[in-house]
Amino acid sequence: MKLIVCVKQVPDTTQVKIDPETNTLIREGVPSILNPFDQFALEEAIKIKQENDEIIVISMGPPQAKKALLKCLALGADSAILLTDRIFAGADTFATSYTLAQAIKKLGEFGIIFCGLQAIDGDTAQVGPEIAGILNIPQITYLESIEDVSGKKLVARVQTDDGYKIVEARLPLLITGITTSSFEPTNPPMMSIMKANKKPFFTWDANELGGDKDKYGLNGSLTQVIKIYSPPTKEKGVIINDPPEAAVNKLMDLLSKDKVI
Amino acid sequence: MSLKFTEEQEMIRESVREFAQSKIAPIALEMDEKKEIPQDVIKGMAELGLLGCTAGEAYGGPGLSAVSAGVIAEELAKADCTGSTCVYYLVPASWGFLLNKYGTEEAKKEVFPKLLSGEHFLGIATTESDAGSDVGATKTTIKKDGDNFVVNGEKMYISGVREAVTYGGGHVTIAHQSKELGTRGMTVFYLPLTDEGITPTYIPDLGREGISCGGFTIDNVKIPKHYILGEENKGFYIIHEGYEYARALIAVICAAAGLKSLENGIAYIKERKSFGKPLAAYQGINFKLAEHYTKLSMLRDLGYQALLSIDLEQEGKATRFETSKKVAMAKMFCSEWACDAINDVMQWQGAFGYSRECQDQAAWRAVRSFSLAEGTKEVMKMIVARELLGNKQY
Repeated sequence: MKLIVCVKQVPDTTQVKIDPETNTLIREGVPSILNPFDQFALEEAIKIKQENDEIIVISMGPPQAKKALLKCLALGADSAILLTDRIFAGADTFATSYTLAQAIKKLGEFGIIFCGLQAIDGDTAQVGPEIAGILNIPQITYLESIEDVSGKKLVARVQTDDGYKIVEARLPLLITGITTSSFEPTNPPMMSIMKANKKPFFTWDANELGGDKDKYGLNGSLTQVIKIYSPPTKEKGVIINDPPEAAVNKLMDLLSKDKVI
Repeated sequence: MSLKFTEEQEMIRESVREFAQSKIAPIALEMDEKKEIPQDVIKGMAELGLLGCTAGEAYGGPGLSAVSAGVIAEELAKADCTGSTCVYYLVPASWGFLLNKYGTEEAKKEVFPKLLSGEHFLGIATTESDAGSDVGATKTTIKKDGDNFVVNGEKMYISGVREAVTYGGGHVTIAHQSKELGTRGMTVFYLPLTDEGITPTYIPDLGREGISCGGFTIDNVKIPKHYILGEENKGFYIIHEGYEYARALIAVICAAAGLKSLENGIAYIKERKSFGKPLAAYQGINFKLAEHYTKLSMLRDLGYQALLSIDLEQEGKATRFETSKKVAMAKMFCSEWACDAINDVMQWQGAFGYSRECQDQAAWRAVRSFSLAEGTKEVMKMIVARELLGNKQY
């Protein structure tokens, strides 16, 4: 069975700042990393991998995104595919999902597609569900852990607002995982790193993918980013320490001054 | 050489950095205080493939190049201000390299698996009370006894004695086999420290206290023939390849420890105000910062050039002498330059810099040892001068 994991190389957002003049991300000198949520998804795939299963990682991005895929290979993926073409540039989540879905179709029959909850740069959490929509397959979101995979069925523990639930779905399907607090990302060992470059690695462009070229990149995007900005810092609150009657009066004054009441 | 690392080396750096920053950095000072590297850190280092990283694939190791081994050393040095894990790593890396190159199949299959799993330690034991950099003055002897060899003597100021005695393992050692031949009669071999003829002693060190320092007497210890590294009586030449590997790693470690300390210093002098302005605004301080940074960056480059020369030598693209010279150039001032930088960072931090809570004082104590370990600064000068003067006696 093919287990497909979609991953993204992202800037390490703990080090990203926004240029207040241009409202754009300052990427200079910021290291690129494998999206941590995607590493969780990959490690879930590795956990359930059976003897005859094959883990394929796919990423859409510039040639430099190879680094993230190599890390996936070092972590235990069997092969990697980088989707890279100038035409893919400027893709929103829909165009990205369409591109990834085209690559998945090209791979033929598969069992499970794994995606991280979201990418730490955009935080949209849309790509996974959109791929499932395009491929018309079931999806399980907010996955905490896979409980069982047998035959053509998958049982999973899924997070809910007030706890969890156990769900069941038929294969092929797509799952997006939350990253549980107990998850400790694996650091790839030296031996695996040395073997990573020897594993199959493919680079596909738009011609190789086929499909509708108008649906790739900026042309195929349904949304546009108008502006990126940091939300204003929350101002310090006012603490009223007076006796109850005086405190209420002061509060009323403040609320009325701010035209709340 | 340009310091452009390969994709693998970048991955190695990232993986080791994440491990070292999360598992070692937070407990570094504690390791010094408790005089022990916790077993879970050693296990983590083993799982990551750091221990015995130069062992070949045939023996279960990743068979890393010297430059890649340098990348690991650099990341450990940035995370571990005490230098304890750096030593725990660099010794098996260097002497594992020698064992991998000159050891018998039987010895490699016996020693490497337990080194790689973190169960055993592999060290180096050449120093004696009256023989340090002057290896020829070694008094320990090794004699043939049928199919085996018998060793007698004493070794002193050796890293990892307690570790090898307690958990298992041994040290690569040198002894005179044919005393009348001088340095041409010395043999290198693997000596397990678990033999009953080994009696250990321990010496408290100034720094890098997470790993033990000590010595041991060797009383009629019998070793099998397959523990001999390379040809008998050729040990003096063989042992220098191990030294050089360790010296080049030490240069990179010193540069990283010094640069990490400067990072601490930069954060401090930008923040701390004295007489109405930040310390960084004083030329007396920022000139020193610039000088230290320049020297340490040069040192880092020299260290990697030395490591690259070791790699090229294995491919037949560099000579022994080229490597010796580059390694000695890198090692010569590594401790002095790093110590100078760290000492100034301690000074900038005032009384805190002198307290045991300050990471930089631990780094200074660790780095100070490298002016002596694996060949003194003075010997490095002798090597460079010898190469420049064409090996003649003047």
